[in-house]
Amino acid sequence: MIFAFANQKGGVGKTTTAVTLADGLARLNKRVLLVDLDPQGHLALSFGLEKSPGLYRLICLDEPLSAVVIPLRPNLDLVAGDKQTEMVKRQITLADFRDTKLSDILSHAAYDVVLLDMAPSLDVLHINGLIAADWVVIPTRLDALAVDGVKEILTTMAEISRNGHLYRGYSILPTFFDRTTRETLLQFEELTRVFGANVWPPVPQDTRVRETAAYGQTLWEYSPNSTSVEGFKDGRQRLGGYRQLLGRMLEVIDGCG
Amino acid sequence: MAVDKKQRRSALDPAVADLLKGMQQKQAEAQLPRRERERISRERAKIQSRRDQRATYDLPPSVREGIRLLAEDLRLPASQLATLALARFLQDYQNGSVELGKYKQPSRSPRYDWNLVFPDELISVVHRKKSA
Repeated sequence: MIFAFANQKGGVGKTTTAVTLADGLARLNKRVLLVDLDPQGHLALSFGLEKSPGLYRLICLDEPLSAVVIPLRPNLDLVAGDKQTEMVKRQITLADFRDTKLSDILSHAAYDVVLLDMAPSLDVLHINGLIAADWVVIPTRLDALAVDGVKEILTTMAEISRNGHLYRGYSILPTFFDRTTRETLLQFEELTRVFGANVWPPVPQDTRVRETAAYGQTLWEYSPNSTSVEGFKDGRQRLGGYRQLLGRMLEVIDGCG
Repeated sequence: MAVDKKQRRSALDPAVADLLKGMQQKQAEAQLPRRERERISRERAKIQSRRDQRATYDLPPSVREGIRLLAEDLRLPASQLATLALARFLQDYQNGSVELGKYKQPSRSPRYDWNLVFPDELISVVHRKKSA
């Protein structure tokens, strides 16, 4: 099962979400592969590692997947990225069957779940990621510009679907969620009105998330009881947060199994 | 093929629905006049502060009824009478003036070692008005 984390708008929490959910799934004994499709190479940094040209070696040098993956944690591997990912785009552009290059490689990967961290762009690598994906998760801040990014991704997905690719579904994930502001409520109402059950419970705004990246740890290691993991307290229940999102992902994975 | 134009609003994720409802409620409260907002805020604070004071115990109906009748008779809240009764019991127990041994019987429950079994004359206390 391949999930793509995509939004053409930058700074919406794609990488943090991919890292947190990947490590969460690995802790639930799923074999997980993270793939960095962003030349910024922030997935490696998030785990306290140096950037490296894993994706370049995989696609341009035709090295096997097993040779380029970096083991991060039990059950969790990484195909890292760095600025050489830009060269991958050039290589793919010149190749035959260029849109399915990544999909062809990942279809044989021996993992339960693959998570693609996409760059905030709309280039050939982005298209490759969307074509490889079974399910697209679209993180978005609740502001007009980021929500516009959601529409752009869905338009691109619709074009890809018209060319024969079948998605199992998509989810919109509100991030940096501050439930005290009126703008958040307005955007949240609009999102739920338009996209209904496709809107997943949000990830609360939480300074712990920023600290986590600085320490090269995941949220499960650095701050497992933080609001972004546990969600908002509402009486006796918790709403939103990465723990609840893991449940939603498992429903998708098990539902598609 | 005919296309069904009726569109049902898709259901929301339950957590999303709860969160949205709570936010809309707060937003609606924010539109109320200041006095009304303050009243709601006071009520909420009152409910929250009472949470620590609440406890649920199983009592024999005769004891419960005895407390209720006495409270009515003295025109006092039943909770305050129950507080007095329990506080007095705890003091008496610490002073050694209450002996539980005579009521104790082994329990078959995995949670408790003992049960207290009370004689009828102790718990069938019926409140009677004190004669003036």
